[in-house]
Amino acid sequence: MKRIESRLNTASAEFLANAAHNRKLAEAFKEKQRAVRHDRPARDIERLRAQNKLLVRERLAQLCDPGTPFLELSSLAANEAYDGEVPGAAVVSGIGIVAGREVVINAGDASVKGGAWYPLGVKKTVRALDIAIENRLPVVHLCDSAGGFLPLQAELFADKYYAGRIFRNQCMLSKMGVQQVAVVLGHCTAGGAYVPGLSDYNIIVRGTGAIFLAGPPLVKAATGEENTVDELGGADMHTSVSGTADYPASSEQEAIAIARDIVAQFSRQPKTAIEWQTPEAPYYDGSELYGVLPRDIKQGFDMHEVIARMVDGSRFHEYQPAYGKTLICGYAHLWGYKIGILANNGVLFNDSALKGAHFIELCNQNKTPLVFLQNITGFMVGREYERRGITKDGAKMIMAVSNSEVPKFTVMCHGSFGAGNYGMSGRAFDSRFLFSWPQSQTSVMGAEQAANVLAEVKIRQLAKQGKSLSKADIDAIREPVLADFKRKQSAYWSTSEIWDDGILDPLDTRNALGIALSASLNAPIAEPRYGVFRM
Amino acid sequence: MHHAFSFNGDDHLLTLSRTTTAYCLHLGDEVYAIDLRNHQDDTATLVIGEQSLEVVIATQGDEVFVHLDGEVYQLRYRHPLERLAASQAGNSEDAIRAPMPGSLVVVAVQAGDAVVRGQLLLVMESMKMETTINAPRDGVVHAITYEKGQTFDRDAMLISLLPLAIEK
Repeated sequence: MKRIESRLNTASAEFLANAAHNRKLAEAFKEKQRAVRHDRPARDIERLRAQNKLLVRERLAQLCDPGTPFLELSSLAANEAYDGEVPGAAVVSGIGIVAGREVVINAGDASVKGGAWYPLGVKKTVRALDIAIENRLPVVHLCDSAGGFLPLQAELFADKYYAGRIFRNQCMLSKMGVQQVAVVLGHCTAGGAYVPGLSDYNIIVRGTGAIFLAGPPLVKAATGEENTVDELGGADMHTSVSGTADYPASSEQEAIAIARDIVAQFSRQPKTAIEWQTPEAPYYDGSELYGVLPRDIKQGFDMHEVIARMVDGSRFHEYQPAYGKTLICGYAHLWGYKIGILANNGVLFNDSALKGAHFIELCNQNKTPLVFLQNITGFMVGREYERRGITKDGAKMIMAVSNSEVPKFTVMCHGSFGAGNYGMSGRAFDSRFLFSWPQSQTSVMGAEQAANVLAEVKIRQLAKQGKSLSKADIDAIREPVLADFKRKQSAYWSTSEIWDDGILDPLDTRNALGIALSASLNAPIAEPRYGVFRM
Repeated sequence: MHHAFSFNGDDHLLTLSRTTTAYCLHLGDEVYAIDLRNHQDDTATLVIGEQSLEVVIATQGDEVFVHLDGEVYQLRYRHPLERLAASQAGNSEDAIRAPMPGSLVVVAVQAGDAVVRGQLLLVMESMKMETTINAPRDGVVHAITYEKGQTFDRDAMLISLLPLAIEK
């Protein structure tokens, strides 16, 4: 495998301006992340301290093996929702190492609204459990929640992917033989009671932990029966009388230590073997990525330069280097793991789509996980391309992407517009993990184009009635559309809505993909099988 | 495995094959058992046939520095794909064609300008995206086909460099 030869001039004004711009974006992202993780009203912290509770990050530090990485998922979920008052959607989820095993961690954050389940918090938890199912990863639940946020119950309770899905996913994991342990660190009320109830093992902290279908006030209202929390669902009752909980613990520290000991009992299945070699750092400095990415979303850049700063030794075996050049396909190693890369270098043409579909089939045949690097304005439009069957060839690529059996990973590097999002394994196409870079944008079309289309529609409607619009009228139509599109196509909106698994500093992408690849190999890779390719 | 190193400006080809414990070096028809035993203090023992040599080897990218008998030898590792491709380079990069249909928004050079590899030549726009066209190698601009604002089809020749042979 030959090394990519960088054509970047790292001393150019363009590079330096890009680097300054993108570094600033990365810093702004990290500051947002820091605030979401740690900034809380003093009274919430004091309340938890008074209850003798640890903060969720302190719990994670005790749970995970010292010195091991924790890949936090969707750290900025819900940041653009609920007036920004529910940082992280009141849930912390991620992949960590516990007792030497890769596990999914799903932890309620009681320092945010008492850990109440908001619609996006439910979505984040369901996604974490989907990740556990797709990658066969054991789960550790750290339960501390006030229960569903009642004013928004219609958006979190009954639909297919709402709260019920959490429990359905727990049952699927159990059927698959993937083990779960729940630590009850607060009240698990109503639906929340099923999280420990459906786990293979659970631990409950004496005094602060409780499990019940209805808490004392609701029971009193329903039947008139008076209870204390401990009588109704405390640690001693559940571990010695009902058998709903397994292990009593005298403190949070003890409970987490028991959880670690339980995970240590899980049998370790051999991972799926794929091509692997001793990892090697990229030859080119990863921090040069900041200078590669342009400041303007409209401006293209050579994705070879990105690949060169992400893969082992910057080595890349490019497949069909002279055909369909707007889609780069080829093999590389990342943290030692052999991967197949599909990266956009321009708009998708017939030949690039065919090359992509062919390469996906090759990687499925030889069991090589796929990494998609998106910077795509869409498939080429126009008469000539329709006549050549651009839709038909795009359909082949989407067919190959959808039915791919090898794990897929997607990084939103820059633009992701139109059907290009689909062909390049966007969110709907079951990538095992999908990450976004801070400046990336995702939408059905660009903001300018959408504003123009809507203005055009209005002008035509009025023209039929013999009326015309002044420039001020047209601007009045365009401006709100532009503003709305710009907000909702930003990476911060995407990640708030959990259309991805989190924003990454470009420099951290290599490590995040390494953890994701390693996690994905806990699941077997099936033989490839596709639907009908339109020829 | 075939390997090539350049040393004092010359390329040296050699072939390594595995043995049960180390490697064999093939030089022409001769075969030598070789081994490199690394020690904890960054020195190593290089065994070639019956000979044992104390060496210090440092690498930086493709540069290999070998300290042997008080002398430092600098070698450069040449990847076979690169070495073989280099002999063909030039011709295919003389003409730069449009990667997609579009229009020119910036023309940064003129015919006759000397350019260095990576220098901005043109910026084109297509499908809402601006694409910069940079010089694939050092050279001299031969001709620019279109003016700013003009549109072209995919694969249209946008700019050409003087062929290397003529330049020399």
